[in-house]
Amino acid sequence: MNNQNGKRFLKPGRHLMMGNEAMAEGAISAGLRFFGGYPITPSTEVIEHLAKRLPQVGGVCMQMEDELASINSVMGASLVGAKAMTATSGPGLSLMVETISMAANLEIPFVFCDVQRCGPGTGSVTDPHHNDLGLVRFSGNGEFEVIALAPMNCQELFDLTITAFNYAETYRCPVFILSDAYLGHLHEVVDIPPKEEILNKVIKREVPPSEEISPRVFSYLDKVKNEYVIPKPPIMGTEYVPGMFLHTPHGPEGILSPDPFRFVQTMVDKIKTNKDKICLTENYKLDDAEIVIIAYGLPVRVSYRAIEIAREEGIKVGAFRLITVWPFPDEQVKEVVKNAKAVIVPELNYTGIIAEQVERVTPLGTPIIKVPQVAVFHHPDDILKAIREVAQ
Amino acid sequence: MARYEIRVAGFGGQGVITLSKMIVMASALYENLAATQTEAYSAAARGGRCWAEVVVDLDKEMKLIDYPKALEPYDFLIILSEESAKDVKPSSLKKGDSGFLIWDPSTIQKFRAAKRISKALSIPVQKLALEKFGNTVYGNTILFGAFTALSGIFSEESALKTIQEFVPSATLDKNIEAFELGKLEAQDFLKKLKEEGGN
Repeated sequence: MNNQNGKRFLKPGRHLMMGNEAMAEGAISAGLRFFGGYPITPSTEVIEHLAKRLPQVGGVCMQMEDELASINSVMGASLVGAKAMTATSGPGLSLMVETISMAANLEIPFVFCDVQRCGPGTGSVTDPHHNDLGLVRFSGNGEFEVIALAPMNCQELFDLTITAFNYAETYRCPVFILSDAYLGHLHEVVDIPPKEEILNKVIKREVPPSEEISPRVFSYLDKVKNEYVIPKPPIMGTEYVPGMFLHTPHGPEGILSPDPFRFVQTMVDKIKTNKDKICLTENYKLDDAEIVIIAYGLPVRVSYRAIEIAREEGIKVGAFRLITVWPFPDEQVKEVVKNAKAVIVPELNYTGIIAEQVERVTPLGTPIIKVPQVAVFHHPDDILKAIREVAQ
Repeated sequence: MARYEIRVAGFGGQGVITLSKMIVMASALYENLAATQTEAYSAAARGGRCWAEVVVDLDKEMKLIDYPKALEPYDFLIILSEESAKDVKPSSLKKGDSGFLIWDPSTIQKFRAAKRISKALSIPVQKLALEKFGNTVYGNTILFGAFTALSGIFSEESALKTIQEFVPSATLDKNIEAFELGKLEAQDFLKKLKEEGGN
């Protein structure tokens, strides 16, 4: 297959794009070579766009017969060295968890775009609902950590998809991009950086020079430095092929181990000990804020509107934004809520999946106000009402 | 920050979504303004209540529209079906310099609220498009012309560049004529408003 690298990068500058297309273009820029998927509303434009674009860059976009086959094809492609991804929505994610767990076990890197829709079950297919984070966190049997990123506009759908691929290469764990029915269909300008700038950022999938090939192919604990080492993902069919793709836990030394405790510890702690590098956050007008809003995804933008109006009324309110939703940045949130008069958590779900995490790190006695919403996203007034109530 | 809130509503297939995409392209790509377009999706994009919204920030310094949906009261409403006309009240529109309504009397028979809206312009878009250009699809460009002249949020040059992006090149001349027709309707209307205001 020809590697038509010339078409990998869009012309630098401003492009008007739909959210789902921006995510697909971000993936191509990051070096995506294989997409396996089964179309599902509201993610369909991702596979549509890639069906057109991937062949132009020497990649393959394959519509499989179902979700399970899709995710399995993605794992297969990644094993032989192609950067790979799938895109689906909640019901599709439910069907894919078996393989996600296997991929986590074998530390196969891949990126998973979840364009969330209203659930449970088939739910309401065209409405946004941030109801998958619970499933994403525990996506499969066994204990392992995942990374989930939450973009809030089309530019970030592009940029953070590149980040997601880099995280997958670096940490070799499932990396999710949490979009939703609304964000996926927004049309906004995406400012495409020059090719060189993108290439500087992208971590390549390649066979390391032979002198650098580590005999250890799985992550392990370097006992001297007391830190986890995550080797580059092995590529089957090359000299870097490990004869090890067995469905067996491996130990902190990176070799097959009969010690499940240390194996699970590695799966979890290789992410947890790198949280300071993985957890991306943003402070918005927090310097003098007495009331703190904590949010991710589209509700962040609604919060910014509400903050604008509340500040005109003299209420000192700011927002702490989770760009990385999982792992949850305990320490940063602790710091932000420490002296808050109240914490408001607007979430596009009923139960408050992130609110629960906020509760865990907020001092007892500090009120935490959930602002739930389902299927339609918040009106600024919903959040403003909560701000005004606690400001009194 | 200077949000300009636009809503287009009508039948699915009438060009509601295309028109909104033309507005966002002219604003975002050719005027370099922050802009966001959202639309009715899937089943909701069919029937009489298809909608699309655009928010443009007229402040050139702004990089991002925070709340991406158009907020009521709107700066500009384009209403093309009877069903969507039912949702409009005089309070749906801003007072002051903006607060325009364009509606199509060839598809809406009764639109009581329009009588109580001072800046309501009725253009029989579907009828004009069919009579003058032989196809209702030109209605969209007529509306785009009227929008460009009334709102003034982007230049005519940006509007024309947008038309070139959207229409097949064989129909470009006809589309520019349709654009001019809409523009003239709007300019006449503005003149009338000014005279009334002067009295």
